Amino acid sequence: MSKRKRPEPKSSSSMGGINEDEKKLLTLIRSKEGMGATTFEMKVGTSIQPTLITRAIASLKRNHLIKEVPNMNNKGIKHFLGVEFEPCKELTGGDWYIDGALDVDKIEGLKEICVKILERHKNRVVTLDVICSYFEKVMDKDKLTKEQTKEILKNLVLDNVIMEVKSSGLSEFSSTRIGEVCYKLTGKKSGGGEARAGAFASVPCGVCPHVALCSPGGVISPTTCVYFQKWLDF
Amino acid sequence: MAPTEYGIVYAVHIITVQFGSVVSKVCECLLRRGPLSSRDISRLAESEINHNQVKDILYLLIQHNCVQAFSVEPPDGSENKAITQYIVLFNNVIHRVRYNKFSRVVNEELGSQCGAVLDGLLSNGRLTLGQLIERDRDSENTIGSEAIRDSLEKLVAARFVERIPSPEPVLGKKEEGPAAKKRGAKAAKILKEPESLEERILEAATPVEAIRFPHIFKEDLSSSLADNDSNISEGKRKQRDVESSDPSDEVIWRPNFEEFIRRLRHKACVEIVKERRDEGCAIVLKAMLEVGRSQEKKVKTDKSVPMSMGSIYEEVIKTEAGRTMLQERVEACLEQLSASSSYLPAFVIETDDSYIVDFKSIISVAQKDELEAVIMGRYGKEAFRMFRYLSQEDRFVETDKIADAALTEKKNTPQILLKMWKDSYLHMQKLAVTGVYVPFLLWKVNKLIVSRQMLDEMYHASLNLSLRLTHEVDSEKELLLLPMAKLEGALKERVNKIKAKRMLLSSTRFKLDDSIMLFHDF
Repeated sequence: MSKRKRPEPKSSSSMGGINEDEKKLLTLIRSKEGMGATTFEMKVGTSIQPTLITRAIASLKRNHLIKEVPNMNNKGIKHFLGVEFEPCKELTGGDWYIDGALDVDKIEGLKEICVKILERHKNRVVTLDVICSYFEKVMDKDKLTKEQTKEILKNLVLDNVIMEVKSSGLSEFSSTRIGEVCYKLTGKKSGGGEARAGAFASVPCGVCPHVALCSPGGVISPTTCVYFQKWLDF
Repeated sequence: MAPTEYGIVYAVHIITVQFGSVVSKVCECLLRRGPLSSRDISRLAESEINHNQVKDILYLLIQHNCVQAFSVEPPDGSENKAITQYIVLFNNVIHRVRYNKFSRVVNEELGSQCGAVLDGLLSNGRLTLGQLIERDRDSENTIGSEAIRDSLEKLVAARFVERIPSPEPVLGKKEEGPAAKKRGAKAAKILKEPESLEERILEAATPVEAIRFPHIFKEDLSSSLADNDSNISEGKRKQRDVESSDPSDEVIWRPNFEEFIRRLRHKACVEIVKERRDEGCAIVLKAMLEVGRSQEKKVKTDKSVPMSMGSIYEEVIKTEAGRTMLQERVEACLEQLSASSSYLPAFVIETDDSYIVDFKSIISVAQKDELEAVIMGRYGKEAFRMFRYLSQEDRFVETDKIADAALTEKKNTPQILLKMWKDSYLHMQKLAVTGVYVPFLLWKVNKLIVSRQMLDEMYHASLNLSLRLTHEVDSEKELLLLPMAKLEGALKERVNKIKAKRMLLSSTRFKLDDSIMLFHDF
């Protein structure tokens, strides 16, 4: 899973200057590979006193034997990894993360490309394979895996921009296997109609963040409401 | 379903506007405390209203179909007389703002004469044929007693008007007899959830079909019907003969809201299908609804009865728009209606050669749109994705999984979810795991809670629109009193502005009410 960056340092030479506790900790940390160990795990896993653990960690860091990696999911918790390990997916957040932040631009860009592909095939549905092969052709570096493409499409479905349909093998599905999952754009032209604008959402109260505080005669009230004022300002 | 907090406030507001604040006090007391006797009302209502006043108010509310009296059968052997109690009919109070929608249904289907008769019933609550004729005589555009009788007959035949329910049904004791207990486990499963008190009272008060919508329609019919009543409706409905003590001895009529809501529900379904599929599908669905309507028992039916292709086509060609359609086309429409995707569920279920309209799925599409539009407007695009993901999954999902699925920044995900949870749009549970410092948070969209929350906010918004309208009109009261022709320049502009505001506020409230029906009545 995680690859080693450089050959394992020779234990005799590099570990010469460290004491017994540090040795124990280092073995534990290295055994956890890409996931690393938290201070809590170290306390449980070894029987070293908490104060000594802190000191040992500082010393190991100074000797460039371990490194500190923040946990993506839980910013408060630090994980310690052997220097030769790359942090695993659970810590970095996965493929869509760069330096601990979600690569929104990349995702949005890919989504746009998907929509364009689907627009070009307006009258037909498109299968996952078609989109994958398109990405393979176009992108030279960091190619998308099939899983990643699927994730992008799933996201577009959640955005209500495209829809997933199971092929029935008839008319528009003529070139697909029966039961295969296909994608097409939502909206009027694709035969699914557009979602309603929503009567409630078009009233200021529908999107008001303070609706819970509003009451007739209260601090926020319909007669003094600024959103109403704006809405009724012809 | 008990009315929500703002549902009650809105209902009280409607009553205040139409009947004044004293009446609304009685109404609020009943809405908040449930069924009460008239003595209790005068004791519990916030302001000083004496017993006689309370009685008058209750009669007024009964006349306008907002309150129903009932009594509970005293336990065996008890010598106490049953005390009359009053229950407020929340739905009927809210229906009061929909009267022009009801009127429109009748005008479209049965013409303006029937519309005029219905309007008389709507504005007076309940009337006899004699009173309707009298009312017509006094009005400017008289249509004549014959026409009134014909119209009323048509209205009753179409079930838009019904005979008034029993004035004071007696409810049996809650425990059912041994016969009910003997029913097998299978029968118990078929039985639905226990009815609410309101439903029990209404069921006991409603006369049997033949009396509710009599076929033979004569003026002197009423007395014979009153005689029949006591035979037909034993027990619970024995109070009916009280009616015959009416001096005029005439049948009293009132609008049948149930039928109006059913028609509006059907209309809404056709509209949804038209938006989501196409004109052809809408025509086919409309025909299907027409075929199945007489078989519908209650308004909130989930599924229609099965219909054959032949009967659907027969109905399709009856309409002007459907006359051009070939059977092939109808078949294609039915196929389109029964297709489903991640985007749209099937609207029609196909079962060996017959078709069933899935009302629930059609209505749910519109409810979903309404709900998601609010999420999008209030919390933004990311929240929209998360919400859609959670409603798709329909189970508890952990924060990180949601962030992964919706591809949102993991740092921001908890904040967005918490915001929605705070407004009751999401359901959350903490899961403490030993060895993990912070508890896991699990999230879910609970459809019942969300719909109730939405409904409460929509009542709130309707109330706000109505209050704002009053405020706007009040602030320019003097100006509106001036004759329009004499106004010039800036003043004229001000009047036009207030008119535009009034238009926007009332049309928005009208549309919002459609959405309220979508969540509450359909």
